[in-house]
Amino acid sequence: MHTVVELLARPWPFWVAGFALGAFVPLFALATGKALGISSGYADACDLAGPARDRWKLWFVLGLPLGGLLGASSEQTAALETSVARFTALGVPLGAQLGLLFAGGVLVGFGARLAGGCTSGHSIVGVAQGAKASLIATLGFMVGGFATAQLLFRWLEARP
Amino acid sequence: MKQLVFLACGAGFGFLLSRARATDFDAITDMFLLRDLHLMGVIGVAIATAAVGIALLRARGRQGELAPKPYHRLVFAGGLIFGVGWALSGTCPGTALAQVGEGRVYALVTVLGILAGTWLQLRSLHVKAAPAR
Repeated sequence: MHTVVELLARPWPFWVAGFALGAFVPLFALATGKALGISSGYADACDLAGPARDRWKLWFVLGLPLGGLLGASSEQTAALETSVARFTALGVPLGAQLGLLFAGGVLVGFGARLAGGCTSGHSIVGVAQGAKASLIATLGFMVGGFATAQLLFRWLEARP
Repeated sequence: MKQLVFLACGAGFGFLLSRARATDFDAITDMFLLRDLHLMGVIGVAIATAAVGIALLRARGRQGELAPKPYHRLVFAGGLIFGVGWALSGTCPGTALAQVGEGRVYALVTVLGILAGTWLQLRSLHVKAAPAR
């Protein structure tokens, strides 16, 4: 048992993590009959006062922080992080960091609902099915992400 | 009871996201800057594995509610907006919540932002998200 924990605590190579995340999708569908998706769980959270329905996605997303806790404790890096180290190293003040995180979050939430899914529902589950909407959404995710990161971080790094 | 099953599944998925370093701000940023392609490899292997698994389920008629999401003309625009936010916040909807559990307290701000953006879209544009499943 001890060795299993030690094994899990080591950094996972990309193919182990990728295989585990990929295998999760069909196993989840087999066990629950559901198609995994996360951004729609946020939509459920925005609609708590709405008519009663099956809000399984809300329960699923509420489990994610528990998983994060397990993941972090297996690695024994328990220190709380109140700022983004990368931004701090580049001289971005905390207020601006939180502004970037909030603005980024708004765009992520808005874009995911407009596109009909996020990196889980579209880029893994949808692309694995070869769905047109998911391929096009994922292309958008990547183009938007690459362009923004290149502009933002190259500018931050070039600042005196 | 059923709620607890989904809670446990979410915890399992969150654990995997965490161990995959998908919750690591630097891993996402360095993927976009083409300095560390670890996450690109994770996503690629995940897609290939899921594709094989889904094909096996389909062949046995056990795919449940797995079905291609509907396409409409604003899918690419939504994707671009998401991508910009992905790079700014260094996280996506699932990993933001896993980050909170990992003790990255700043991600609470990201989660609030995602909720606000979701709320805004649901109330502003009459493009319905993928039908509830």
